[in-house]
Amino acid sequence: MRIRWILLVLMSLAATAAAASHVLAQYQYQREVDVAPPDEDIGGGYVTPEVQRPAPRAAWWDVVDMAALLVALGLSAWLVLQRRSRNWLIALTVICLVYFGFYREGCVCPIGAIQNVSVALTDPGYAIPLVVIVFFLLPLVLALLFGRVFCGGVCPLGGIQELVLLRPVEVPRRLDGVLGLFRYVYLGLAIWFATRPPVDRDFVICRFDPFVGMFRLAGPADIMIFGGALLILAVFIGRPYCRYLCPYGALLSIFSRVSWRGVTITPDKELDCGLCAEACPYGAIEDMRAKTSGCLFCARCYNWCPRGVVKQEAVKAITTGSSDEAKASA
Amino acid sequence: MKSEPTRREFLNATARGAGLVALGSTAAYLVIKAGPDGYWQVDPRKCINIRLGAVNVEVCDKCATTCVLPLSAVRAVNEYAKCGRCCICPSYFDVTSEIGRDGLPTRKLCPRDAITREAIGDVDPDDPLNNFYDYHIDEDKCDGCGKCVMACKEPAGLGSLRLEVRHSLCVDCNRCTIATACPDDALVRNTNDLSKMDPHPEEETA
Repeated sequence: MRIRWILLVLMSLAATAAAASHVLAQYQYQREVDVAPPDEDIGGGYVTPEVQRPAPRAAWWDVVDMAALLVALGLSAWLVLQRRSRNWLIALTVICLVYFGFYREGCVCPIGAIQNVSVALTDPGYAIPLVVIVFFLLPLVLALLFGRVFCGGVCPLGGIQELVLLRPVEVPRRLDGVLGLFRYVYLGLAIWFATRPPVDRDFVICRFDPFVGMFRLAGPADIMIFGGALLILAVFIGRPYCRYLCPYGALLSIFSRVSWRGVTITPDKELDCGLCAEACPYGAIEDMRAKTSGCLFCARCYNWCPRGVVKQEAVKAITTGSSDEAKASA
Repeated sequence: MKSEPTRREFLNATARGAGLVALGSTAAYLVIKAGPDGYWQVDPRKCINIRLGAVNVEVCDKCATTCVLPLSAVRAVNEYAKCGRCCICPSYFDVTSEIGRDGLPTRKLCPRDAITREAIGDVDPDDPLNNFYDYHIDEDKCDGCGKCVMACKEPAGLGSLRLEVRHSLCVDCNRCTIATACPDDALVRNTNDLSKMDPHPEEETA
């Protein structure tokens, strides 16, 4: 009887102790925590670890970007208007696609700069970086001088589409014109979204940029699918983004409408064979002349022009010294 | 042998001149306003997860869910110099979970198990509850969800955990998608290092 009592008491004690140990465990924690303990209190030769913070990109890279843009624009204009060489232009396109696209991961670009400029013009508190101003304005100045030089060999979004255009299909002129209007709508929407108050501000051009995800090899799934679809479409329809979506393309085509010079398929006198118009995948040749607002500086027409080919061979023959061939072909 | 300019040529030249003037004046206006190019940072005075005083509120996970990268460029960072080295770290442990036999909560707070706990200094093996502990964040696992950051606040924490944009990962979008989604407008483009800033709300410091 007595043993039973003792056992019962012991068991209840054990149970209480077990239950209390959980509670006690919390009370055993005595150290007050109101400041970080210094190294000496921690002891054992402890040294507070440094927090590793990778540095952001150095500012002088902006200068490199601006210089690269200036050189690329100059080269693009020279290769198309003076050198009249599509091969060299393709080389420039690839270089710009690698640098502005894959290396710089699509930022900074003039298309997105529209939004920064809109914000800078409306929000007094917004400081716009110089590199963005230069990227926005330089291609527009060149559009006034020569046309859409930027689209030709420099723009990485244009470049990636240019390189996949293998089976060009002509878009009916009417449809082309109607679809082309969407660029202006998009431009308006982009400016509207960018100039809203900071909390609601959105840069839709960047958000719905179909190719930037490819340049970064990562991106939201829906945009990647959109980009992929657009790129497949671009195999048949020349540069669908540039012609129907690009808001900067809209600006460039307004400015290049009154450009000082432009692509001349045959500098002296046009033939009326129409081969150039057939060669142009962008429907930018009307009446054997390149429309400056639609011409994307791809230099395809030169290679198709019978006179252009003759002239090029003649030039080549003269520069390489074999004048007989030059005479023969001329 | 230059011919007289046609009407069309004249109009074009006029429009071109107007265009140049417009571009020039825009350029001049913008250049006056131009500032140095900053980089995206989380402002600790604005972010609801970081700023002190914002307690008993929902954790915001926009940094983890809206970045264009598969794993966000925003990661949690433990500012060791401010860490209390608590035994029961409210950011490491889920303090609402059951207390185990060792006196520690049984569950961890981090959904990705990115935090490790390590006894430091003069370790007393008989008194594990009163030792100092370092908490290391494995950045390869962290996605910047902010749970731990929200937990390390008054009354239990000192606010040593922050969310920071890791510049080695950030692709430096023209407009950060997190900035667009952030309800506190806490992702800002700035040239100053905001990570050193005190996480007191902006109203107090301003």
